[in-house]
Amino acid sequence: MSEQEKPTAAEQPRQVEWDLNELLGRLDGDGEFLRDLLVMFHKDARQNLEKSRQAMAERDFVLLARAAHTLKGMLRNLSMGAAAETAAALEAASRENRMDHSAALLEKLEKELEEILPEVEAQLAEVRP
Amino acid sequence: MRILVAEDDAISRTLLERTLQRAGYSVISVENGAQAIAELVKQDSPRLALLDWIMPEMDGVEVCREIRRRTEQAYTYLILLSSRESKEDIVAGLESGADDYLTKPFDVDELKARLRTGHRILELEDHLVEARESMRFQATHDLLTSLWNRGVIVELMTHEIMRSRRERSCTAVMMCDIDHFKSVNDQYGHAVGDEVLREVARRLHNSVRSYDMVGRYGGEEFLVALNKCNPESAVSRAENLREKIAGRPIQTANKPVSVTISVGLALSTEFTECTVEEIMHHADMALYAAKAAGRNCVRVARPSGIGKPSDDQLKETQVLMP
Repeated sequence: MSEQEKPTAAEQPRQVEWDLNELLGRLDGDGEFLRDLLVMFHKDARQNLEKSRQAMAERDFVLLARAAHTLKGMLRNLSMGAAAETAAALEAASRENRMDHSAALLEKLEKELEEILPEVEAQLAEVRP
Repeated sequence: MRILVAEDDAISRTLLERTLQRAGYSVISVENGAQAIAELVKQDSPRLALLDWIMPEMDGVEVCREIRRRTEQAYTYLILLSSRESKEDIVAGLESGADDYLTKPFDVDELKARLRTGHRILELEDHLVEARESMRFQATHDLLTSLWNRGVIVELMTHEIMRSRRERSCTAVMMCDIDHFKSVNDQYGHAVGDEVLREVARRLHNSVRSYDMVGRYGGEEFLVALNKCNPESAVSRAENLREKIAGRPIQTANKPVSVTISVGLALSTEFTECTVEEIMHHADMALYAAKAAGRNCVRVARPSGIGKPSDDQLKETQVLMP
């Protein structure tokens, strides 16, 4: 893989990781429902990230694509645009069986989720009834 | 209206459920394609379905294909949910039998608008089915009494007599005519006459078994065919019909009207060499004989001539009558 192809966080302009206002707008400001979704996300994101790591270790691109697809869906639904696009790129790369590219994208996605998950936890603490 | 949501991702599913419930839908959610099929083939299944494209067990495209393969059910409007936007995918999805597709994450207004399109299509389908059923009914039934019309009752009876000959069973053919019906019309008017016809039809229909046949043969004449009828009890069953009409007056909007019927009976086993037309002619002759004998009675056609029911047959009648 060429250097050009390898995506790194530094090359890309930093996008908004989580557009919480946009999400709350879509939920008509329903904080309780937001909380329900975040609880699901907190559990499912970690699960699918784990699945992705395992699939990568086993070079199972079918499973990797599926896990990336699921992650992409939940990230888009929760207005986590940047990470969602990484997951979309990971899904596409794994469908093409591109090992190095997939590995780099998974690494990027892990970093992005590591940033997002504490924010989600903070939000959950905040909206706790 | 009920709607099925098939989506494996819990967050997407929850979002859809909430959006749809707020839009007034009653939502049934499942997590994979196999469960979606199981719901959609149930009786009274939802007519609208949102199917995620990529699901475990069976994906949305396969669900569409399977549902379209089964044509016996009412139409289901299928919308695929896709997070992919490439052209081949959309073509493949629509060719599998999906009616529409929606890209995730969905826009609430767009989702509602597309579901409205689904409603329109389903309404059109319902109107079409309704119109077809109503046309079929009108073509085969008498409009006033809702019994089989003359053409159909004769055809059905012909088939039944042919079958009874093959199976060596007996079909009882009864010509029933309302006595002095003209005077009912003259005395009470045609509206009351129509009510009397409807009620006589209803009583005849309710007095036979579900696999017997009753049709309106002419103005005030009804044709009843009893399938697999025991020849010994045919007279008593004809008597039973006569009694059902004569037994109590008919309540019309105007006032109660008492009517009776005369019945001419012919058994297919007595006329094995005759055509169906000839058997009906014999039943008709027996009906004339019943009229000549003073009306409100049963006469039986025999190859040797018209007979009065024997004492034995009438005795049996009394035993069998409720």
